[in-house]
Amino acid sequence: MSEPLPLPVSAPWIVLKFGGTSVSTTARWKTIRDLAAARRAEGARVLVVVSALSGMTDTLKGVCAELDVTQRLAVWARIESRHAALAAALGLAPEAAWRTQLQSLHALLTQAASAQGALPWQAAVMAHGELLSSALGADFLGAHWLDARGVLHAHAQPNQSERVQRLSATLETAPDAAVAAALAQRGEVLITQGFIARDAAGATVLLGRGGSDTSAAHFGALLRAARVEIWTDVAGMFSANPRQVADARLLRQLDYEEAQEIATTGAKVLHPRCLAPLRAPRVPLWIKDTERPALDGTVIGAEAVSASPSVKALSMRKGITLVAMESIGMWQQVGFLADVFAQFKRHGLSVDLIGSAETNVTVSLDSTENLLDSDALAALAADLARVCRVKVIAPCAAITLVGRGMRSMLHRLEGLLAELGSQRVHLISQSSNNLNLTFVVDEAVADALLPRLHALLLHSGALRADDVALFGPSWQALYAPAPAAQPAPWWRGARARLLDAAARATPRYIYHLPTVRARARALRALGAVDRWHYALKANPHPALLSALDAEGFGLECVAPGELDAARAAAPRAPRLFTPNFAPRADYAAALDAGELVTLDALHPLQQWGALFAAREIGLRVDLGSGVGHHEKVRTGGSASKFGLPLTDLAEFLALARRIGARVVLLHAHLGSGVLDATHWPGVYAQLASLGERIGTLRALNIGGGLGLPQRAGEQPLDLAALDAGLGEIKRAYPQFELWMEPGRFLVAEAGVLLARVTQLKSKDARAYLGVDAGMHTLLRPALYGARHGIVNLTRLGAPADALYQIVGPICESGDVLGNDRRMPVAQEGDVVLIEHAGAYGAAMASNYNLRGLPVEEVFE
Amino acid sequence: MPTAMTELPDPRQARTFRFVACDYAQGEAVLRYAFDDGPELVERLRFPGAPVPDGAHAQAFRRALRLLHLLAGVSYYKAGATPELAIEGAGVDGATLDLLRAVYTHGLAEFAYRNGLDLRGRMHWRVQTAAAVAAPALGLPARTLVPIGGGKDSLVAIEALRTIGAECTAAWVGNSPLIAACAARTGLPELNIERTLAPELFAYNRMGAWNGHVPVTAVNSAILACAAILYGHDSIAFANERSASSATLEYDGQQVNHQWSKGWDFERDFARLVRRTVASDLHYCSLLRPYAELAITRTFAKLPQYFEVFSSCNRNFRILGPQPSDRWCGQCPKCHFVFLALAPFLPKPRLLAIFGRNLLDDDTQSAGFDALLEYRDHKPFECVGEGAEARAAMAALARRPEWREDALVARFRSEILAQLDAGALALGPWLTPQGAHGVPARLRAALDFLRA
Repeated sequence: MSEPLPLPVSAPWIVLKFGGTSVSTTARWKTIRDLAAARRAEGARVLVVVSALSGMTDTLKGVCAELDVTQRLAVWARIESRHAALAAALGLAPEAAWRTQLQSLHALLTQAASAQGALPWQAAVMAHGELLSSALGADFLGAHWLDARGVLHAHAQPNQSERVQRLSATLETAPDAAVAAALAQRGEVLITQGFIARDAAGATVLLGRGGSDTSAAHFGALLRAARVEIWTDVAGMFSANPRQVADARLLRQLDYEEAQEIATTGAKVLHPRCLAPLRAPRVPLWIKDTERPALDGTVIGAEAVSASPSVKALSMRKGITLVAMESIGMWQQVGFLADVFAQFKRHGLSVDLIGSAETNVTVSLDSTENLLDSDALAALAADLARVCRVKVIAPCAAITLVGRGMRSMLHRLEGLLAELGSQRVHLISQSSNNLNLTFVVDEAVADALLPRLHALLLHSGALRADDVALFGPSWQALYAPAPAAQPAPWWRGARARLLDAAARATPRYIYHLPTVRARARALRALGAVDRWHYALKANPHPALLSALDAEGFGLECVAPGELDAARAAAPRAPRLFTPNFAPRADYAAALDAGELVTLDALHPLQQWGALFAAREIGLRVDLGSGVGHHEKVRTGGSASKFGLPLTDLAEFLALARRIGARVVLLHAHLGSGVLDATHWPGVYAQLASLGERIGTLRALNIGGGLGLPQRAGEQPLDLAALDAGLGEIKRAYPQFELWMEPGRFLVAEAGVLLARVTQLKSKDARAYLGVDAGMHTLLRPALYGARHGIVNLTRLGAPADALYQIVGPICESGDVLGNDRRMPVAQEGDVVLIEHAGAYGAAMASNYNLRGLPVEEVFE
Repeated sequence: MPTAMTELPDPRQARTFRFVACDYAQGEAVLRYAFDDGPELVERLRFPGAPVPDGAHAQAFRRALRLLHLLAGVSYYKAGATPELAIEGAGVDGATLDLLRAVYTHGLAEFAYRNGLDLRGRMHWRVQTAAAVAAPALGLPARTLVPIGGGKDSLVAIEALRTIGAECTAAWVGNSPLIAACAARTGLPELNIERTLAPELFAYNRMGAWNGHVPVTAVNSAILACAAILYGHDSIAFANERSASSATLEYDGQQVNHQWSKGWDFERDFARLVRRTVASDLHYCSLLRPYAELAITRTFAKLPQYFEVFSSCNRNFRILGPQPSDRWCGQCPKCHFVFLALAPFLPKPRLLAIFGRNLLDDDTQSAGFDALLEYRDHKPFECVGEGAEARAAMAALARRPEWREDALVARFRSEILAQLDAGALALGPWLTPQGAHGVPARLRAALDFLRA
């Protein structure tokens, strides 16, 4: 490889910044060397900005607090050996330039802190983390070592304390061609320190949290760089905090204002003050993952890609305190607000969000030490109370939607607003820059709310994850451990048989019993659960019932007809009877037949008490919140008709005792299609702690609702994690048996629906594929918006050249089985297969339009 | 469905509850009971790494274990609430029998009230009377066992003892991650005693046997007396406070106190009995006895190191989690009271960060707070402060601008305050020590920690 030609003086600069973990190992230093070489090969001058070795800044901070010189030097010895070990691993000569930095640190640590004044001394000591790492790096890279303090100058702000001026200083930087030219003289690849600068008097100062990113941004501005690249341990900024929302999407493109808003309202990957210096000179900033340099990462720049407006991110800040000020007729008085805000200033509390009405102004305060640990808030409230009524509302969380053109997306936020409408929203704020929309809610609900709101933004298309120019993969797709490869669905190996069956009659459901058994065995392997029931409303086909009976499942029934079906197909399987708003006769008959009946209202005990005398009964409670993939499948919360409210529990138990009914089973079921394995342990824990108060209790039935992935990128339910979570609670409550009652999870994948193509039609650029199955055959898409995979079985494997709306023959515009599906071009008579149709398919089929019921067939 | 259990005879049909025997070997104590000729109910306690007692210590331990056997029977007796209680084996002296009668009637008073039983006329003790032994001094080391419960009180007691340099061990019975986390935060040596109840007790409960509150502090006190002898401690310092002595309600002429075994009467009598019959130099006391809840919460407010680990809520699930809602259910009387009692002494945002929500700005909690204030309702059956104390705390908040507009504080101001005697609402009287206590001289200086 030949040496590249020397760069012209006018060659652009690229600033590369690497954090602590990126400069702590040989492998990462090699990555830095490769990246610097690649940028140089692009024809750019390279300035590498580095942090201290990971943990080093904390070590140095600790040593500053140490008064005993012997102790300090013991820490110095550990610092020396760590850098020496890295130098050796990098193959550097033992007596290199970095040794000089160690000696200067040694000299500082032997001085008394008071010699220079504590803060300047502390800044000088702490600067050595970066001085050391950059010196090591200069040697390894063969780069010119640049002292950042010769270039970056801090400016004291009028209201800054000395501590802030020394340890969290403010830089002011504008592009300076002379500095750029001078640095160009020094070499083509330079390395310098993050986090440090000098003040007007020439003393070393630090830049505080996120200081190295800040340094890189200021160097980028000063040099008017082609770009600044921040190399870190995540791929970039995401549409939400990935720790809270695993489905958060990588943001590929942001403008400065959007990025600033996201960084300020919660994202931790970039310190908000990094963006300001780059904005005026329009220097783009890239965020990249050191472990995966090939990933695109996030590009923050002036030119936004042309795209229709989208919500870019959902961020959250906790620990918000609201101060609501109420007064009549005072707001229009000149100076009133100025007086009010002067009080906030006087008590050292900074105001963030503001919402106002004619008689009320509400502002938010961020969580600070001054707020939490002093009497500032009490004193503020006392002062404000002289001029208005004050109410302090806390703890709150501010949930912010960020995206340019927010107001043009309001119509897509219907679902999100409905979800928020069920919470206490204390303040809504939107400013004229049209970038954000903030809702302040109770902090207690925020964690659970965030993933739901993100999912609603995705599903409503307000967050346009399908636009690959704006959004990248989800965090879980990038970083979550890859799930075990999903086996091919059973029907792929049974194509010929399925086509044969379809030739006899369609629409036709086929149930594959080996798949049912496999699912059943996977559940039975969970050690924590004592008894399983199949919720047979999902599919009461006798062959399925007897197969599940053979696998050791009991049967959960909700109506007399279901009890009959259960007795006929599996007479010896244990049964549960859990009806809802059923007539008295249903309960009477079931009790006479010896069934274990679960009640979920006071009415049966109040009105028909004699029925339950000396009986064992179950009780279904409503734990107060529902979950699930669609409003119509949530079965908890006050908007749901199921379950006894907890406020009625004491009365129910008193009634039961009076009647002589013994409550032996406590049950809750909060919804369906849940993929989060922590959901059931939560329900279990709540039921168990309620159950402690019911002495007659034998078992807790924590319901079903085990979900199956419906959309690309969704991870299947982690059964091992579920078992571990349940086991932990079981150890605390060994006195109760644990029961569960899944339905769909057992049978959905085992079933497919076969239909034949009837007609094709094009209308306004939309292509309709008509089939002989419709909402009368499979209601879930129309009822829940459920998504079922649809394939053309006749042309399996043919190129998917068409984009179809798959519709049925029913006279309803909602008779749609699937939207926008990429499939091969179809012809009349082709057999279409609809996946995951084993649950709530035939069971919900109707004779609407008098089109008749589908055929059902079982495959062994 | 469990089947084997249904063969158990119904203990409510039994005539006699029998204290069969108790043994100890290799760190495990075994307590045996039975209803009539029914199956033996066997409770086990494990004392981890316990040294083998010898000589006078062995005899003292036998006496402590016997006392534990007699007191721990209360958990099993209640399932049948039989008319007769028979103590088998060696006889029992008069003072011990007096304490037993008190524990089984006052300690089960709430249980009796809830189940509509009258135990006073019902309990007949069949026992050989024995002469009282005068227990010798054992020369126990100057160390204190402090039972730790995960709540604020024991943490205040520990920090009070720390101020006088007392050597302490944090002790608890049973498996609780919450307590383990609090104990770890204290940095003290730990002693965790395992207690396994007889499994038949759960079966009895499922059969519909009598069930309800038992005086668990009496049982734990006896367990710790055994531990003090085994491991060598001259004192046991509980953290029960003044208001634990007041009754929660009166029922059919009888005082019903949910926390009877945390009250002064039990403390005084148990301490005396331990000194007379176990070891004359073993001191049992409650360090916080002279103080009201508000004096304790005021002190606790200065211990921020515990804010993120403690919980007094006994209704919430006891698995630790990172969220406040994992430790505080926010619905029960304990949550209500601790919130209210800490509120006058902490910056509001700090208090709300502990609980994760503002219970006083939630209309649905009004019935719970009314019960604390003894407004319209009686005092709840939980270990919570006196109504007058809760009213004083609420009145203090009603004067504070950062609190006064919160839903329940505003309601207190508009509906309740005018009906109260304004002279009885000051915080001050609740902050000073008052009344009898049994703190031994060696530890008495620790009481000063709770003074302003």
